[in-house]
Amino acid sequence: MSSEDFLQLTYDEQVDLLTTDGIYIGKRGLRPQVSVLYQLDTFYVEILYKKYRLHISSIRCSTSTAILDPYFELLDVPLVID
Amino acid sequence: MTERFEKEFIVVYADDDPDDIELVTEAFEQYAFNVKLKIFSDGLTTLSYLRNLSVVDDSPCLIILDINMPGVNGKDCLKQIRQINQLNEIPVVLFTASVSDRDKEFAKLYNAGFINKPLSASQMEMITSKFIEHCNSDIRKLITK
Repeated sequence: MSSEDFLQLTYDEQVDLLTTDGIYIGKRGLRPQVSVLYQLDTFYVEILYKKYRLHISSIRCSTSTAILDPYFELLDVPLVID
Repeated sequence: MTERFEKEFIVVYADDDPDDIELVTEAFEQYAFNVKLKIFSDGLTTLSYLRNLSVVDDSPCLIILDINMPGVNGKDCLKQIRQINQLNEIPVVLFTASVSDRDKEFAKLYNAGFINKPLSASQMEMITSKFIEHCNSDIRKLITK
């Protein structure tokens, strides 16, 4: 599936697809304004919440790895290396 | 005066994410009448609690384990739970944001359920009933909203 095809789906369909096929990358922000990032096929999908896991504010897609940057900044690199 | 005695069922939930703990706690509030959620933020303290249950303590009716926890993760925790005689038949559910066939296979191998963390309100609404479905049938009948 391409990101264009994904964006044609309804929110519910997008969320269901992410739940079954998405690869979870990370989470950032403080509740309730939390974002989570998934990889789906060859693109990334970020869910931005108004209320974490309850009220989605928007869903955005990107094929650019730049979308990963804010998530990688949160990683504890020494912990990952260990 | 008639007093109705309701048995309290213990559900153990281990997760290092405070947001998810809060959401699952809120989700279980509908069962607050006879379900008590015991929360731990890592695998090690979960195991310590479970190992120290005495024969007079009620065993949990369900153990929910986040997979990605620091130290002893949910999968290691599950492995060790299955080595505790008193607990090797207790229903366990691996609860995770990751979708991995390997993790699903792992859960199956250790006789555990596998539930993805919900991403929306509609999925969140179903989460407690999905958890309760993993309890044994006698207990399921007694758990009330």
